[in-house]
Amino acid sequence: MIHHHPDNNMLLEYASGSLNRAHSLVVSAHLQLCNACAAQLKLLNGIGGVLLDTAPSKTDEPRQQSQAFSRLMDRISAAEEAPRDSEAAPVAEPASTSVPGAARPRSASDPIFNHLPPVVDKLLQHNDKLKWQRLSKGLKEALLKTGQQHHQVSFHRIAPGNKVAEHGHRGKEITMVLYGSFSDADGVYTKGDFLVREPGEIHRPTATQDEECLCLSVVEAPVALTGLVGKLINPFLSIKPQ
Amino acid sequence: MAAAKQEIGKRIAVQVSRQTRNDEWSTLLVRVGKERDRSAFEQLFAHFAPLIKGFQLSRGGQGTAIEAADELVQDVMFKVWLKSASFDPSRASASTWIFTIMRNCRIDALRKDQRQPDTESGLDVDDIWDDSQDQQPLVFLQQARNQQSVKDGLASLPPEQSHIIEKAYVEGKSHSEISEELGLPLGTVKSRVRLALKKLQSTLVR
Repeated sequence: MIHHHPDNNMLLEYASGSLNRAHSLVVSAHLQLCNACAAQLKLLNGIGGVLLDTAPSKTDEPRQQSQAFSRLMDRISAAEEAPRDSEAAPVAEPASTSVPGAARPRSASDPIFNHLPPVVDKLLQHNDKLKWQRLSKGLKEALLKTGQQHHQVSFHRIAPGNKVAEHGHRGKEITMVLYGSFSDADGVYTKGDFLVREPGEIHRPTATQDEECLCLSVVEAPVALTGLVGKLINPFLSIKPQ
Repeated sequence: MAAAKQEIGKRIAVQVSRQTRNDEWSTLLVRVGKERDRSAFEQLFAHFAPLIKGFQLSRGGQGTAIEAADELVQDVMFKVWLKSASFDPSRASASTWIFTIMRNCRIDALRKDQRQPDTESGLDVDDIWDDSQDQQPLVFLQQARNQQSVKDGLASLPPEQSHIIEKAYVEGKSHSEISEELGLPLGTVKSRVRLALKKLQSTLVR
């Protein structure tokens, strides 16, 4: 049962296409697991439908319109004659063709990567060589390539029963649980739960005793440090010395 | 009792007749998907191309060129043709479905403008904004009534709320961009959006 959701504001930004890409990625992963938010998205997409329906119609001259239509049909014919063409191929294929748990030799044996939401599964397929870095006792992190620079997207894994050192974040952090569960002073978070931490909030997550915990997290990239990512050990997290 | 029933019957009849237009676009879209029907597609084009163009041009203040709006029409309708087989009228109205395609095209176009590398992650816009996962069909009448409720609800919102909703959808602005532009605290923008949604939600048939 999922108890923590993105709020209506974030869902509306997602539905309207105004939410940044990294946050949209985590919202999308949540939506693939959460029926309640998927139902809410229906309403939010419906608002877009109504706004399109009621947009001030800009009708072209009949000649222009028929030219535009033949141009479109030419493009469609060209795409259909050459289905392997780079333009047509990715569109013709439904977005969710990736079979969860498909050929991934490295992580196939690791149950933590089973049953991921399709969007995370696809991201993982393109980040086949995960480089796990130990951040502190029982906490490992692997950065994910997402093709954008404003946010750092990563997996975090917490060993069973492990308490992560108390830490704060320099930027807003969004975390979603993908496997197992963890808890902090505010509650217990299980698969699908979606958490937003504002900059400066300090917390101390603990994985549950019996299993490992895997999370997807997105942190705002500190502007001054973007060029150094990878050289520094996690500049996004400030772990207090114990 | 009988009079009340008759009244309800009348109200439903009105709603159904209002919906026949929408029903028509859905039927055409299904025909394109199933039969690759070009004349059905041409009718859809004649209806939706001017709306897509109008939607894009009403962004205002951003120097949206007519050429860019025409390009958007081409991109959206191209995808409508390619994806039409996956359109399911029990899950979305034709205009909502086309809106989601347009939204994704606009996100894609914005990325191209900013020359952000897209190849690295292997994720397409359609992977992140993926509506194919929707597993909750509604009966058509319910679907149609909800669409009408949202339309009526939007029209009856206080202007300061509907203005913000339009900025998000039409201009593609995030809450913080809207807050900056209007000189309103972010909390005010957020609460106006929440109030608007609460009102729209209360009108829906569940």
